[in-house]
Amino acid sequence: MFKKILIANRGEIALRIIRAAKELGIKTVAVFSEADRDSLHSILADEKICIGPAKASESYLNIPNIISAALITTAEAIHPGYGFLSENPRFPEICKQEGLIFLGPSASIMRVLGDKNRARQEMKKAKLPVLPGSDGIVEDIETAEKIAKKIGFPIILKATAGGGGKGMRIVRSLSNLEAQFNVAQNESNSAFGNPSLYIEKYIENGRHIEIQVIRDFNGHVLAFGERECSIQRKHQKILEETPSTFIDEKIRKKMIKSVETATEYINYHSLGTFEFLVDSKKNFYFMEANTRVQVEHPITEMAYGIDLIKEQIRIASGKDLHFSRDLDFIGHSIECRINAEDPDSFAPSPGKIDFLVFPGGEGIRIDSAAYQGWNIPPHYDSLIAKVISHAPTRKEAINKMKTALEMTTVVGVKTNIPLHLNILSNSNFLNGLYHTQFLENLLSQKVNE
Amino acid sequence: MKTKIDYKEISKLIDLLEKRNLVQFELELEDFKIKISREHKKQKVKEAPILPDSAQSDRITDKKEIIEKTEDKSEDNNLHFITSPMVGTFYRSSDPSSDPFVEIGEKIKKNQTLCIIEAMKLMNEIESNVEGTIEDILVKNGNPVEYGQKLFSIKTR
Repeated sequence: MFKKILIANRGEIALRIIRAAKELGIKTVAVFSEADRDSLHSILADEKICIGPAKASESYLNIPNIISAALITTAEAIHPGYGFLSENPRFPEICKQEGLIFLGPSASIMRVLGDKNRARQEMKKAKLPVLPGSDGIVEDIETAEKIAKKIGFPIILKATAGGGGKGMRIVRSLSNLEAQFNVAQNESNSAFGNPSLYIEKYIENGRHIEIQVIRDFNGHVLAFGERECSIQRKHQKILEETPSTFIDEKIRKKMIKSVETATEYINYHSLGTFEFLVDSKKNFYFMEANTRVQVEHPITEMAYGIDLIKEQIRIASGKDLHFSRDLDFIGHSIECRINAEDPDSFAPSPGKIDFLVFPGGEGIRIDSAAYQGWNIPPHYDSLIAKVISHAPTRKEAINKMKTALEMTTVVGVKTNIPLHLNILSNSNFLNGLYHTQFLENLLSQKVNE
Repeated sequence: MKTKIDYKEISKLIDLLEKRNLVQFELELEDFKIKISREHKKQKVKEAPILPDSAQSDRITDKKEIIEKTEDKSEDNNLHFITSPMVGTFYRSSDPSSDPFVEIGEKIKKNQTLCIIEAMKLMNEIESNVEGTIEDILVKNGNPVEYGQKLFSIKTR
């Protein structure tokens, strides 16, 4: 097992990894920007190294400084967390060159899965169902029209370099195609420096369902029951739950099996997530794979009574996966992402937290790097806490979450807690009848009222 | 004796102050007192208080405070710190058998190499961005340094 690891991240995920390492008896090195000198991750790690100014491109994305920090502190491995460098294949490549273990998959796998079109083609070969669409990059409008006519509208144009909803356009008729094609190409080029698009059939009112998988370096693989992530705004997840009210045992088993097969087929190692779109007839289609730990991983941990990060660290040191194949859900879990933002306009609300009380009690887990008196820096994302509830049934988990959020007090910055309470009391949500357009609909209703 | 001083002469004095780069001039005679002071350009941005026009009588004392502050600060301003632009290992010489690039008390020029920071097996020469005298070397040879860490203090005057 490792003696010391470096965490190349900040905020709640850095703390989450520090906790896992401490429990395993591993020393931790935090890296921080000048804006994060007073952030909890740099306070609570065993060692800390300043790696640059506030701007992420010069600190949390600064590969030479992060690698140097690992070398001078004699850390053996680096955990990238999520965001920042976690999906940049250059990072594991350089780690390897410098004799450091990257806590994630290999650079080559990351390259394949990071290219959304290539990932789609690979998954087709791995027998995962993909949506009807183009066989590769669509270079021009003529080809786009041909494909659209073949698969039928609506279609979705997607950037192969994509992420976060950029370079993505839904097209409902031929007359809009050319304009949208050009817009998506331009947007993709300016966001990722790559205008390449591919086309998929668009599923109306689909559900975003994802499967967590873990595979050790000795070939043992295990996939878990689904996380339901359909409650999104602009492709950003807000609230997640597991299990989904929509997925039955038969589909679940099929999804788990397909993901395990695909993971073995591409020879993937470490933690990963396969994202699917599920239509109203419960057909599931591969969308993309995330080669890192997800923000919403705690709901799987709570519902299964496991620790994914500890296991990820253990297997990276060469150990066998020690989860049993008989693991099953023990109850229901929900996560609410608490962002420092205006609940109506969604504008970020950075600043000083003057007063802060988090709820506690049985079945409530808080993953947060916030504390009273902390100045939330404006340079990074607005997530200040994840409140996770766990209870024997969905109804109890919802009630527990509502109670917890009502007791959460944040003074000084605005949060989206009112939005969460609104979702949690919506009758469609309570009945489990929702899809990826749920939140947009809820918000437009509110405007109309 | 009655002293007569007119506007022209005052204006001359102000010019002199500026020419000689003086901060303050005070002249006290039996029945006459004049005090002219000038702010440091550097300070102006940060510390010059906005004075109401009616507060003429307070003006002189206010200015004096500023000058005192300026003097305090300018002592600090004479001390310049060279900070590390990267994370790495600090070396005072180009290799273990060579003499250090600089010693305490040594006069240094702008762009003179002061040390090496090794980062990912690359040797990065760190140069001084000021002229002055090495007041202190704040990191031991071979020790790790983080971004922004103070390496040298340099007296610039």
